[in-house]
Amino acid sequence: MSIGLFMLLMVGAAVAVRFAPFLPERLRIPVSLAVLLGFLIWAPFTLDGFRTFQMTRITVWVIVIMGLNILTGYNGQISLGHGALVAVGAYTAAILMDSTEQISFVDANPWPFWSTIIVAGGLTAILGLLLGIPALRLSGPYLAIATLALVISLPSIIRKYDGFTGGGIGIRVGRTQPPGFLDGILNLDEWLYFLALFTAVLMLLLAWGILRGPLGRAFMAVRDSEVAAAAMGIDVARTKVTAFTISAFYAGVAGGLFTQVNGTITPESISIVESINFLVAIVIGGLASMMGSVIGAAAIIFLPTEGPELVGQIPYLQTDVVERAPGAIQGFLVILVMLLMPRGLAGFAHRLAALRPAAVVEGLRATPGRLRSRVEDARGGLFSLWDARPWNRQKPSHPDRPDGGEGG
Amino acid sequence: MELIGSGIGALLESPVFLAAPPWENPDLFGEQIVAGLATGSIYALMALAIVLIYRSTDVLNFAQGEMAMFGAFAMWSLWLAGLEPWQIIIIGVMLAAGIGAVIERLAIRPTQGAPQLNVVVVTLGLFILLNSVATWVWAQGDLPKVFPSPLSTTASVDIGIARITEHRILILGVGLSIMVALFALFNYTKLGLAMRATAQNRLASQLMGINVGRMLTLGWALSAAVGGLAGLLIAPITFLHPGFMFSVLIFAFAAAVLGGLNSPPGAVVGGFIIGVGENLLGTYTPQDILGTEMKLPLILLLLVIVLLVRPTGLFGQPEARRV
Repeated sequence: MSIGLFMLLMVGAAVAVRFAPFLPERLRIPVSLAVLLGFLIWAPFTLDGFRTFQMTRITVWVIVIMGLNILTGYNGQISLGHGALVAVGAYTAAILMDSTEQISFVDANPWPFWSTIIVAGGLTAILGLLLGIPALRLSGPYLAIATLALVISLPSIIRKYDGFTGGGIGIRVGRTQPPGFLDGILNLDEWLYFLALFTAVLMLLLAWGILRGPLGRAFMAVRDSEVAAAAMGIDVARTKVTAFTISAFYAGVAGGLFTQVNGTITPESISIVESINFLVAIVIGGLASMMGSVIGAAAIIFLPTEGPELVGQIPYLQTDVVERAPGAIQGFLVILVMLLMPRGLAGFAHRLAALRPAAVVEGLRATPGRLRSRVEDARGGLFSLWDARPWNRQKPSHPDRPDGGEGG
Repeated sequence: MELIGSGIGALLESPVFLAAPPWENPDLFGEQIVAGLATGSIYALMALAIVLIYRSTDVLNFAQGEMAMFGAFAMWSLWLAGLEPWQIIIIGVMLAAGIGAVIERLAIRPTQGAPQLNVVVVTLGLFILLNSVATWVWAQGDLPKVFPSPLSTTASVDIGIARITEHRILILGVGLSIMVALFALFNYTKLGLAMRATAQNRLASQLMGINVGRMLTLGWALSAAVGGLAGLLIAPITFLHPGFMFSVLIFAFAAAVLGGLNSPPGAVVGGFIIGVGENLLGTYTPQDILGTEMKLPLILLLLVIVLLVRPTGLFGQPEARRV
């Protein structure tokens, strides 16, 4: 089955169940999530090898992006350096799994794969704790640049101290083979996909548990106003450091998984591009939204390849652009999502879900009148229709208010 | 006793630094300082461009470097078509200003009122877009491309403490005069006052009769022009390829943050510190444990340490926020 048809079926089925009239309101969301999971379990058996591998990558990135969303979306600390944390996790797993003497300073016996993921997560969480404490002093763009400095420096450091990082060549451990009892049931690609899917579902459940509890509320309170949070008895510093630690744990687990899936790690595997992509993913997916993290991960994998291809199928469009400058389409799509959906794709989906048929009909009925008044406005000059003459029309704005004064 | 003495002597003779220390080769030291100041003025210009946008829109413009790169490639085409190097610098700055104004109108203005991270992501989208289009249009055949300078990039002049190429003198001269011009614009003209007012409080400026929208467009145009000039000045040294402004952008971010994101003088000081520091660290690092390749991490480590002591940079003011 082609990936497009599969995605359409999966999303369609989940949406249909979400609004199914025969299900009680209480059951709709859990059942639609179960349908989603069912489709994801079916995925490797109907998609080809390349698509399965692509889905595996998405699943690994979901974990990082969920972690980054906890830090940035829920707690308001911007990090551009999550790639560095993922790299630390990946290298930890690779060093533990390596069997050559000179790199594996622990011992030459490779550790079992599952233990390396846990150790990678734990070690990166400790690193996150150590980074979170100095990060308390920095805010907003200063923190963003400081974390960006981290991810830019890491490749040079890895290359320079090649004693146990393998330098520029990196470490090759081979992809993790399926355990014996799965022989003949799953091939290598499918096994890696299910390993990643299992871990991701576990991590998402963990995030759900954290975010709906007191800690999650504390994260959001600190994000919205540190003073108000402190007045309510929340230890602001501890909450922020906790968010950093949890976020780093997610990055580390994803890094460990990355090593299992790719079988090799080099200084370039997780570079600044990935690091910036993680931030793009949480914003175009939806800040402070679990669904947004999943959608965002899929978006950063599919946008660079499928996006231009899809756009190329629009008739009369010059395919030359699509083939030779796919980045132009990708950048354009990212900007378009931001302009049309300020709360990201997940926020847009929420708005669609909240639409009631009566309201839609009412809106459609009002459209001709609104258009007519727009045209009448434009009589003064053609350009004012799209507000190209700033000196002619200006909307009063309230810079002190986050919604710019539009929210009544 | 003698044995120990010779041991220490051998230790001193073996090269600790990559180059001879300053007290043995003062010419090299002077050269490194002056060349560092020249690169530093490029960083300072880019940092100024970043600070201009940050002050008026609260956004780190990640597309700043790519806007300059795009303009530089367009000017390279004009140079091939037969224009003089000094002409393409003037046209290039005007083109960059145009690009900045158009981007502000089409991509930045519609995001007003959205969370700030959205605008940052829009600039990241612009980064990908401009880079890809430039690769598609210009980056064919041999890369990097040679870029012209009005002065020679090889002939050098003796200025007392060091020898420096003519082009670097041009960079220093143009860079310093732009900084002075910007200072004058913001402090002694009505337009500069209006732009500062807009950056400080939009609503109040609007009530005072300032056309806030036009000031924002103008701010982006000005910033893009300054950044574009930096690109045109460094291109003859680094040569042209689609990624040539990225490392400049990183150092400029470091400079802007070091000086304080809302302080233009801070950006200038930060630029010079980073420029000179980069050269000195590349020349005088202990060879064995660090070496040239650790130049970038060391600079960034320095930046983080400064930030930990002064969280809003050397000259930045902490933002007062109403609770």
